[in-house]
Amino acid sequence: MSSHDHAEHHVTPLKVYFGVYGTLLFLTVVTVGISYLGMPPTLSIIVAMAVASVKAFFVATWFMHLAHDTKFNILFFIASLWFIGVFFIFTVNDLASRGRVMKSSDTFEYRIEKAAKTPIK
Amino acid sequence: MSAHEDHPYYHAHHFHSMEQQNASAKLGMWAFLVQELLFFSGLFMAYIAMRFFYPETFELVQHKNLLSIPWGATNTLVLLTSSLTMALGVRAAQMLPMVKNAEEQKLRKQLMNYLLVTCVFAGMFLVIKYIEYSHKIHDGLLPGTFYSYDGWQANIEGRDFGGVVGSGGEMIMTEAPQIFFSVYFMMTGVHGLHVLIGVGVILWLYLRALRGEFNRENYAAVENVGLYWHLVDLIWIFLFPLLYLVQ
Repeated sequence: MSSHDHAEHHVTPLKVYFGVYGTLLFLTVVTVGISYLGMPPTLSIIVAMAVASVKAFFVATWFMHLAHDTKFNILFFIASLWFIGVFFIFTVNDLASRGRVMKSSDTFEYRIEKAAKTPIK
Repeated sequence: MSAHEDHPYYHAHHFHSMEQQNASAKLGMWAFLVQELLFFSGLFMAYIAMRFFYPETFELVQHKNLLSIPWGATNTLVLLTSSLTMALGVRAAQMLPMVKNAEEQKLRKQLMNYLLVTCVFAGMFLVIKYIEYSHKIHDGLLPGTFYSYDGWQANIEGRDFGGVVGSGGEMIMTEAPQIFFSVYFMMTGVHGLHVLIGVGVILWLYLRALRGEFNRENYAAVENVGLYWHLVDLIWIFLFPLLYLVQ
């Protein structure tokens, strides 16, 4: 019998479930309310994602029982977040550093322009 | 020859204990959830890329209130509540006694009620999504080539720029208004499909509970479907602000 027997049979008290639920409701009100403050787009995305992450933490830890689960399942979950992070960061870095490639390169006008700038040898 | 007397029917022979079987089942579900997260991350990446290249279509939707925040917020509260009732259902299943006594009947009824209520809330979510989608279809706010909205006002030199006049009289231009709606319908559509599938699986659990299949040793199915349901809720928690709230 290993220690995770107890983890599976841990019955979460009702108080905890309702407490988490109340917190989630409150955070939903907060996130909607903040959106009416008229913040600049970048900041509002960061704040909205921060609030969403806090809500996600509460759902994952108590509703999904990660607080009382084997460490390996927690690692699995965190690992997926890590790889999503890698995916986002590298792709955004690429997008941000190439300008409007899809619009500005290899159009007829662009090539005419480029040809006009090339000195005749 | 295996001794069937010491293995209840739900204990598969290749596991030496129910604890091991349940732990394996849960890990299997977490592996699936990790896949779901990575799957949705592709859609979120599409959101990021489209927002990066066409920020004005996202701002315009906010500016014109084309997405109803009250409906979206209601859907968020509906899903959060369904997560609570699902968690309470799992809790009831965890406490089911091994013998079919009066307490077992009571807890089984509780489990079945919580599963049913979760489905009701999921149904509410889908109805609200249906209402929102009907408005969009009616207004022609559809993805890609199906886009036919004519609520914009900008008309420069006889060409329709799909733009709108801002509060200061300035022109807020967008060259591809349908892009937001491609992202919107793809993300909420795939999410809604997951909700629908979840309803089906929860109803399956309801039937199994009705037949008295669960007890405090054998409730892994309820718990794992619960995990799936919480993930569906989690995804909406991120979808809602990105699509409805962010300017």
